[in-house]
Amino acid sequence: MNGKPKIGVYICHCGTNIAGTVNVEEVVQFAQTLPDVVVARNYSYMCSDPGQALITDDIEKMGLNRVVVSACSPRMHEPTFRKTILGAGINPYFLEMANIREQCSWVHEDPIAATEKAKRVVEAAVVKARRLEALDVKEVDVEPSCLIIGAGIAGIQAALDIADAGFKVYLVEKSPTVGGHMAQLDKTFPTLDCSACILTPKMVDVANHPNIELMTYSEVEEIGGYIGNFDIKVRKKTRYVDMDKCTGCGDCAEACRMAGRFPNEFDEGIGMRGCIYLPFPQAVPAKYTVDKDTCLFLTKGKCGESPKCKDACQAGAVNFDLEDEIVEFKVGTIIVATGFDIFDAKLKPEYAYGVYDNVLTALEFERMVNASGPTGGKVIMLERGKKKKKKESEEVEPPRAPDSVTFIQCVGSRDKSVGNEYCSRVCCMYTAKLAHLVRDKAPDAEVTIFYMDVRAFGKGFEEFYDRVRREGVKYIRGNPSEIYRKGDKLIVRAEDTLTSTPLEHETDMVVLSVGLCPRSDNREIIDLLKLSQSSDLFYMEAHPKLRPVDTASDGVYLAGVCQGPKDIPDAVAQAKGAASAAMIPMASGRVKVEAQTSVVDEATCRGCGFCVELCPYTAIELVEVNRMGWPVKVARVNEALCKGCGACAAACLSGSIQQRSFKDWQLLPQIQALGVK
Amino acid sequence: MVDVNKLRETAKEVISREDVRELIGYRPGTYGFRARPAFVMGPDEAGELIFTPACVNNLASYIVLEEKLPVKRGEEPDLRKVAVMVKGCDSRALVQQMEEKAYERDRILVLGIPCTGVVDMAKVEARFPNILELGEIALEGDRFVLSFNGTKEEVAKEELLADKCKRCRYPTPLVYDELLDSEVERFADDDYSDVEEMEKRAAEDKWAYWEEKFSRCIRCYSCRNVCPMCYCEDCVLDRLQPQWMRRSVDISENTAYHISRAYHLAGRCIQCGECQRVCPVDIPLMELNRKFYKDVEELYDYEPGTNVENPPLLSTFKVEDREDFIM
Repeated sequence: MNGKPKIGVYICHCGTNIAGTVNVEEVVQFAQTLPDVVVARNYSYMCSDPGQALITDDIEKMGLNRVVVSACSPRMHEPTFRKTILGAGINPYFLEMANIREQCSWVHEDPIAATEKAKRVVEAAVVKARRLEALDVKEVDVEPSCLIIGAGIAGIQAALDIADAGFKVYLVEKSPTVGGHMAQLDKTFPTLDCSACILTPKMVDVANHPNIELMTYSEVEEIGGYIGNFDIKVRKKTRYVDMDKCTGCGDCAEACRMAGRFPNEFDEGIGMRGCIYLPFPQAVPAKYTVDKDTCLFLTKGKCGESPKCKDACQAGAVNFDLEDEIVEFKVGTIIVATGFDIFDAKLKPEYAYGVYDNVLTALEFERMVNASGPTGGKVIMLERGKKKKKKESEEVEPPRAPDSVTFIQCVGSRDKSVGNEYCSRVCCMYTAKLAHLVRDKAPDAEVTIFYMDVRAFGKGFEEFYDRVRREGVKYIRGNPSEIYRKGDKLIVRAEDTLTSTPLEHETDMVVLSVGLCPRSDNREIIDLLKLSQSSDLFYMEAHPKLRPVDTASDGVYLAGVCQGPKDIPDAVAQAKGAASAAMIPMASGRVKVEAQTSVVDEATCRGCGFCVELCPYTAIELVEVNRMGWPVKVARVNEALCKGCGACAAACLSGSIQQRSFKDWQLLPQIQALGVK
Repeated sequence: MVDVNKLRETAKEVISREDVRELIGYRPGTYGFRARPAFVMGPDEAGELIFTPACVNNLASYIVLEEKLPVKRGEEPDLRKVAVMVKGCDSRALVQQMEEKAYERDRILVLGIPCTGVVDMAKVEARFPNILELGEIALEGDRFVLSFNGTKEEVAKEELLADKCKRCRYPTPLVYDELLDSEVERFADDDYSDVEEMEKRAAEDKWAYWEEKFSRCIRCYSCRNVCPMCYCEDCVLDRLQPQWMRRSVDISENTAYHISRAYHLAGRCIQCGECQRVCPVDIPLMELNRKFYKDVEELYDYEPGTNVENPPLLSTFKVEDREDFIM
């Protein structure tokens, strides 16, 4: 097979895509004159069945051992033609693509010059083809288990699907409970299902499933290895509560000296908690957690005579001697489902969030309308930062309901001034839902929504939007410029852009429909897994259309909003997609790994480690070798990890690391063929 | 100025240590005002060591360029430390080499010389040509005192000082095990005025300038051989398969050679100026290297050879890195 090259050149018309500009016949005649070219042909669509058959026939009848396909970008059809020649019995890496479509016919108008360029491109490919080497496609075993990072609805759904299929799942969640943002929601648009009612059964399922090992209040610290064989290290942060003993009775929380003093994260600060807490009643696992940042005993070393929570616990579960635990295990695949942060409304100072008590984010408002939330589902005027009532006898006026509630859409979305050009995709509909809930819970309140556009694109969305408008919710098209206080009212200054009327809208309460943002701690996962980010800083999928749940790292998949804003059904659909994608290698048990990997010449490598630092896949390490009796460090490539990106080869000063199929001695003559003659 | 007796005493102690294999320092040359590298293998050889403003060589190069002969069967490689005397600028070569993992810190023992500046030997020889006897240079205040043929001449420091010293930011070594004198404050900051002047010139002017300079090159490779950062086992520019550049001495290949070398030094050159010093045909190579040095500092806020903990510039990537210069 490695004998004298016998090259076949196949030039594609791509209908008129190529043939409309390039004189294909002329290129064929030229190709026949090139060294080692045995045959050159053209065909209207080389990628079609008859087109591929031309190549297969020639390989069989003429004994070709190299093939040049002059057509589109290798990203398009290189895999196609690799399969073709493999089917005809030659190594798939004896194929060279000459791109005369994207890099020639599509970008040039002059047919004569374009034809000349096509000849050069073909010649360069022929020159390279003469130097191609056969490569082995290696396979590795796949551990039948999956790590899922993040236990919001996406992580939960993916975990359940994979576990139900019979594979082991390690579900790791940073916070003390599973459920994510969905657990905070009251109703879900457009059907108004109760969020908790549809989510909590799944939360319980992940905790009880025999194939799922749930690790809450835990963080992934290290990830090594590659598809099929990832080595994972997880830190299980201590709750200072013995998980086996805690019954979730809540005596400890009631006893805490600081009960009700600190904003509860789960309630977005609308509700309060003590130093030992359960985020919400349906939390899974229903185990209490000591907040080590506020606990008197942990911060000051003293909590009265002895910590009250410890005294109150009849099960003896509270234990301040407990420590973090490190768990290590192996998995074959990884799903990242880390979710999002809501937009920080303080970045839009004109809306005075954090200044006026009754300017809320939509998520705060969501907690307020939630029947199991801090106000018991009542929409009331807030007095923030007010100390908890000291004595029972003190009479406090019950808070009143607002007479009017005003929503502002697109806060932190579609807004270049805060760097978020994207649409968050859920705010239009959750605003409509919240407006409906105000109608429901405070029927006398006037409800107004300021919007840029209403994007009601999903199933049942437009119908829901119509329904909310029919309920008397007033939509005003315009982006408010300022919120200020006048007496005990808030004034929203805006322009109704449909009538070009400036207006000052008086209201009791403003709800900011904040967008979805990449998590502020995204970097941690990026560093662990070498993920890419798209321009909006969400994690980037491998291909926006055809590989939406894959990443550039094999065996690592994305689910939910960490990849980009989406609503619950889309997050669930993507989670099911990611689960299915992760199950392909696990079910087959073996995966093929990249063959065009890098290779180090250990005799000349000086061990500087540039390649080690640069490798986006942590595929290279420095190892000590014996060079004529001297211990020296040289780079070594883990071929199962290498994706053949070539970053190492470009950086190596001595050319000691080279990428297979793109070695200097293969590329230089190719460049020469393209150059001035 | 370093006290020569203290220097020799320290050297003697160091070379007597069991974990030290050899000591690289300076000793007097054979003619003129020159000093030359000394490779001290035992305590009795320490007595000839010196440090004067004539000690221009960057001895850091020898650490990485030392040829490692094959170890005979049954023998163990000699892994004892190498001790080396470095000025501030030379110490940065050590730092950069360690950033690039050329060796571990415990492989070397550094005798740091807080440096008050060295002479530009070309300037000295222009002023005092054809001195065949061995002379001496010392710094006294703001004047160099040159003794030769039984006479003494004084010259203002400014006149003979090497250009690199005039803009030296780090006269005191950045890495050392022992400092042979008290620390020296930096003389001046680098304002890059020379680079800016070059930048202002029209492209055709620059080309004409460099074409003339490169056309002189005889490809002796002295610049590469003396460079403390050029220590690949096998230089890519020497390869025949593939041949990146022909051996022929002509303007095209010479230009390719110098430009390739400048790129290979981007973010690595520590401005010791050895390449330019040893060039037999006076090509102002530091003008190329300094342009890169300035760009690297301005674009990435990075100075090579200043912190062993820094990863090498060209092996790092930050999302915030500037890229507006990419076409």
